[in-house]
Order: sequence, then structure tokens, then C-alpha cells
Amino acid sequence: MNAQTHISQPETKTREMSYAEAIRDAMAIALERDPTVILMGEDIGTYGGAFQVTGDLVERFGKDRVMDTPISELGGAGVAVGAALTGLKPIYEFQFSDFAALAMEQIVNQAAKLRYMLGGEAAVPVVFRMPSGSGTGAAAQHSQSFEAWFGHVPGLKVVQPSTPADAKGLLLAALADPDPVIVFEHKLLYKMKGEVPEGYYTTPIGKAAVVRQGKDVTIVASAIMVHRALEAAAKLAKEGIEAEVIDLRSVRPIDRETIIASVKKTGKLLCVYEGVRTLGVGAEISALIAESDAFDYLDAPIQRLGGAEAPIPYNPDLERAAVPQAAGIEDVARKLARGQV
Amino acid sequence: MPTEVIMPKVDMDMASGKLAVWHVAEGEAVKKGAALFDIETDKAAMEVEAPASGILRHILANPGVDVPVGSPVAYIYAEGEAIGPAPVAAPPALAEPDAAKPAAEPEAVEAAALPLAGAADEAPRATPVARRLAREGGIELAALAGTGPKGRIQRSDVEAEIERRKTPVAAPAPVPAPAPAAPAYVMDWTPQAGDLHVTTRKGNGVPLVMVHGFAADSAGWTPLERALPRDLPLIRIDLPSHGRSPLRRIAGFADLAKALVQTFDRIAEGPVHLLGHSLGGALSLALADIRPRQIKTLSLIAPAGLGPEIDGAALNGIARASTADSLAPWLKRLTARPEGISHDFAKAAMLSRLDPALRSAQQELAESLFPDGVQAFDLTAALSRVTAPTLMVWGRDDHILPWKQALAAPGEVALHLMRGVGHVPHMEDPEAVAALIGRHLRP
Repeated sequence: MNAQTHISQPETKTREMSYAEAIRDAMAIALERDPTVILMGEDIGTYGGAFQVTGDLVERFGKDRVMDTPISELGGAGVAVGAALTGLKPIYEFQFSDFAALAMEQIVNQAAKLRYMLGGEAAVPVVFRMPSGSGTGAAAQHSQSFEAWFGHVPGLKVVQPSTPADAKGLLLAALADPDPVIVFEHKLLYKMKGEVPEGYYTTPIGKAAVVRQGKDVTIVASAIMVHRALEAAAKLAKEGIEAEVIDLRSVRPIDRETIIASVKKTGKLLCVYEGVRTLGVGAEISALIAESDAFDYLDAPIQRLGGAEAPIPYNPDLERAAVPQAAGIEDVARKLARGQV
Repeated sequence: MPTEVIMPKVDMDMASGKLAVWHVAEGEAVKKGAALFDIETDKAAMEVEAPASGILRHILANPGVDVPVGSPVAYIYAEGEAIGPAPVAAPPALAEPDAAKPAAEPEAVEAAALPLAGAADEAPRATPVARRLAREGGIELAALAGTGPKGRIQRSDVEAEIERRKTPVAAPAPVPAPAPAAPAYVMDWTPQAGDLHVTTRKGNGVPLVMVHGFAADSAGWTPLERALPRDLPLIRIDLPSHGRSPLRRIAGFADLAKALVQTFDRIAEGPVHLLGHSLGGALSLALADIRPRQIKTLSLIAPAGLGPEIDGAALNGIARASTADSLAPWLKRLTARPEGISHDFAKAAMLSRLDPALRSAQQELAESLFPDGVQAFDLTAALSRVTAPTLMVWGRDDHILPWKQALAAPGEVALHLMRGVGHVPHMEDPEAVAALIGRHLRP
């Protein structure tokens, strides 16, 4: 899979690498340029991480900076939050974003709150990396998409890179941010290749990217859904339907301006996200459009495609059916564009 | 909420202004920025613009009345907005003794007595952008027919109405009534070598000659024939290299028109009604131009030749397609509802196009008529010369020939721009098209 890259500060030189390699590159650059950066997580050292994202970083930077933590997400996240409070910049890796449920106390009640509760005199510059999403046959407890959960918490920032270049740029932006940032890495994207700028750069948090221009319907998608939306848009283009595809990139803060401008242009909105449809990211996007001056430009009811109201099934056919696929996106976008919704 | 229209302060030391004249009457539509009323101050007279688009209601100040600055003089309601009770006029400026009697009162009573047009329970269903455009364009939503799901009024419906208002539609020109007891029309014709293939249906009165479009054939008229008056005699002509007519190398549009005129001259015994679709429409126009006295009425469905734009890719695609699978996507382009083009439909359509020689002749014809995807022939002059009563039907969702080319028609031509219909109105809505043609031929 290859994708267009959308980079805020493109360096002149780029190199092709996978999404996982781009994240590793970002961590290596951070470890090199900032002595306060440390990596923590289960099996991220000698084993190289559950998805081999940290790889050989322990050999390059040593066990003091690339630390294996015990099988306790609550404990590991707690140490990371404490380390951040004392001035370090930890990146804590969850093996699966699902396991963040074990560390909710530290993420939601501590990391997100402490700046506020201590009157701004303390900050928690921690980054939580969370391999996320379905499609790997890992079933109900290893396949969820929790963007909306964490996006609901003031004090947290939540990003979802869809390309190798953004995976690197958003991770470096997360490290540069003074507050806790959650980076959802889609597991199906780890092997995706793309051109990635060399050296240090950041992709701004809170800024969406228009990855395909169109005038007939706006598709707002994130992570793997961006690629499915682009696939659908390419097919629709052959029928003369021009879909505009927006890569959300950040769930919190959300880029209202880009979405509103696009909907004002197309009058039709389709939100595509992998998390459970009800009370999900698409609900927020739908509401912000309904509340904005783009309302007067809507020419069809807003549509959402999200995850099924069920745990992710183990059966691969059911697993595919449980989250939006390109054909479904194409179908709804076509109906929207034709005024049939 | 209606928009309040107030007496503006147009002068630094102005406390009140005298309303000179209203440019818009109570109940009339007004557009934001248009002149609404004139005021006279001590120093000057000036025009006041409408602060919003909508319907003017509750005029509170009559001409000659002095109104304090900032007091309401009327209200502008959005299209379809329920009319509220008439507000009370502001007390007139004390400086003007004439205004002591509340001049606004009778107006207010009148306004309150107006029927509650567009009350909530009968509000039309419309998308937000359709509502906004209607509001801005001073269009009553209730007057529109929505083409969206469950009749919802969409942006395209309002835009079409705005376009329609820009283009006055001519009423069909009167046609002399046919003789009451027309004799049965029986064509006495023996085809000769080189003639185009012609099929007929017997009936009474003046026959209708039908000329199909590019890559179609006479069989394509079947849905329309079923809906036309049963006793209407029909003469269907297959164009060269189409249907069952001989394959022929055609040098260009004039050459094609010549072939049609030759066959027409041999079959037409007297004046006929003429109907053409697309390329057949252009040929019918040419025929009407060459043989004006032979044409009693002219009906054109999405005729070619009225502008340069055409979907050349679709024409070439249809001409080239050698399987149902490669034909189907192009057939879908022909209609406003492509979901109706099933695989079986495409298979059936392909049956009449199995002959590779026919396909290659049609490809050549497409290249000669539409080089570089452009209509290389222009019949707007012929259209302006046509004296027979002419009817034009066009689908607003025509993806092959843009319906706006219909606007090339002179005022005498009756335009019917159908909603939710593509390039083949006689197949997509044969009943409606047959009704229009039926009335046109036998008013």
C-alpha cells in the first residue's frame, strides 16, 4: 500500500520507509536530540516491541533509555506519568490500545488532570503510543478503536496518523507538546510504505489534511479509513463523482475549519471511522457541522459509517463486515453525491 | 424570526425620517440589497435597501409619516416562515403633528388577516442549502417539486427554478386542428436498394416519422410507442450503419442528412409529424430545414447540434463496446438513474450490436461527426428558421448533451426540461414524453 504524504514542513530529502520504521525513526531522532526522552513499555527492549516498532533501539540507546516494564499497564503508565511530572519526556507503548483500559486511572484521572489541578505549575508531557484497530484476526480484546474514549477527555490530545510521514511527524509533535498526547497507530498500516522526510520535523496536531480535492461530497476519515475512502473516491471519479477526502489526523483538537470549508463547498458529508458508530468521532463531526454556518450549505442528511454495534469478531469475514470497507464508503458517497440519501 | 426593517440614521443629527415611498408592496418578495423604500430627511432624499431577502410584511409606516430613527417600519419574513401577529407601530415622531393618528393601524390589521402561508404543518421538505437559496432568490419552496428522496427539495431543484425564471418558457404555438375524419394512413412503399430501413405502424391521420439517435435503432422507440396514442401512424427510420439499415461510409453530417432526406422523400406522401432524438434530433432539424413544407410539427428530444459540448467518451465507448460488461458503464451514462441499467439490460442491448462491422462503422461515424469529442455541426441557425410548431424535451440530468443547449431555441419553441431524467427521456419517462408529444401533435 502506498499513500500520498501530507507534511507540514517537508525537508528536501525523503526516504521510503514503512509506517513502523517511520515511528522508529522519530523515536531515534528524539532520543538523539533530547536526553530527557525515554521509551517505556512491555517487551519494547530486547524483543523489539509487540509489533517490532521499537526494534533495535535498545541496542542503540541502552537499557536506561529504552526500558522494558512489567506486565502491568497501570503500573507502567503510572511510572511514565510520574517521570513526566519530574521533567522527563516518556513515550509509553501499549502492546494493544485495548490494554489502555487497564491504565485509565493514570491516563484520564492523572495525566489529563494534573496541569489543571496544580494550577498550571506542573505538566505531564507524556506520549502514549497505542497500536489500534481491527483487521489482524486478533478478535474482540485486541482490535478496538478507542479514539472517541480519549478524545472525550479535556487535557488529552489524540492523533491518528494515516501515513508513514505523518506517523513520524505527529509522534515528534506529540513529544514537543507540553501535555499528554495519545498516538493511535493503526496495526494494518505498520507495513505501509511511503516517502518520509529525513531528520526532524513535526506535523501539527489539530490540523486535518485534504488528501483529495473534490466538489461533490466530503468524506472525513481517519487512519486506515483514509485509504479506503481514497480507494472509493478513485472509483467514483470514473463515474464523474468528485469526492473530497479529508484525513482527520487529530481527533482532539479537531480541525473544524478544514471540515466546515469542505462541507460548504460540497454540501454533502460522510464521516468514516473505525470506532463504534454510536457516540463516535463521526457524531462529533456531524454535530459540529450542524452547529456551524456550513448547515446552510447542506444538501443532504449527514451520513456516518462506523464500526458495528458489536465486539470485533474473530471470523475474518465478520471482522471485515464489522468496520467500514471501501465498497461501503463508495456506495454511500455515491448515493449522497446523486441526491439519493 | 422575521428581520426588522428600521428607519435608518443617515445623518449625524437625524432624529427621525419621513418615509417617502415604498418600492415593495406588502406581501411581495424582496431581495436583500434591493431598494425597499425612500426616505426624506431635512437635507436629502435617499433609497434604503432591504436588509434581508424574503416577503415584506407588516408595513408600519405609510408614505408621508415621520418615523423615529431605529423604529421598525416593516418586517421581512423568510420564505415559508409562519407570519406572526402584526406588531404595534412605534409611536410616530412627536415633531410631526400629522402623524398623531396612528397611520399604521389599518395596515397592521390587514397584515394580521393574511392567511398563514407556509404554516409549519404543511412546510415543504427541503435541504438547508435549498432553503437558503430559495430565501436568497425569493422563491416559495411550496411551489417547487422536490426530486430528492420522498420529494425532498434539493439544491438542484431551487437552482433549476432560478434558471427557469431567467428563461421564459414559450407556450406551444397553436397548431391547426387536424381534419376530424382523417383517413387511415397506410404506407404504400417498396424499399429499393440503398434505401434506409423503414418500419411502420398503421393508424389514422398524419403519421409521426421517428429518427433515432447515435448507436441506437428503431427498436429504442418501443417504450414511447406504447405510450403514444394507439391510432397514431408511425414511420421509424433506421439511420445508415444502424439497426437494419445498410452499413455505409459517411463523410460527415451533411452526408448523413442527405441519406435521410433521400429515404424521406421516397416515403413521405404528404406533410408528417417529425420526431428525432439526439443525433436524430439534429437530423430532423436539418430535414425540417430542407423540406419545411413537408413538416407539420417538429418534436426534438435532447437534439444534437445546438452547442459544441458532448460526452465524446461515452459515444466512442458505446460504439466500441464489444461485450455487455464494457457497454454497461456507458449505458449508465445515458440515464439519470444508472442503477436501472442491469447486467441483463446491457446484455440485451449488446444483442443488437454483435456485428463487429456495424460497431466499426459506428466508430467511424462518431469520429466523423464528433471529432475530438466536439459536435462538429451546428443547427442553431436551422432551428431559428423552422416554421413548424416545435417542441423540445430535455432531461436536466443529461450527461451526454448538456440541457442548457436547449436555451439556443428561439422563443416560439416549447421547452420541457424534465427533472430526474437523463439523455433518453423517451425511455426513462415514456408516459410523460408521450403526453407532451401527443398534445403537441393533436392539440
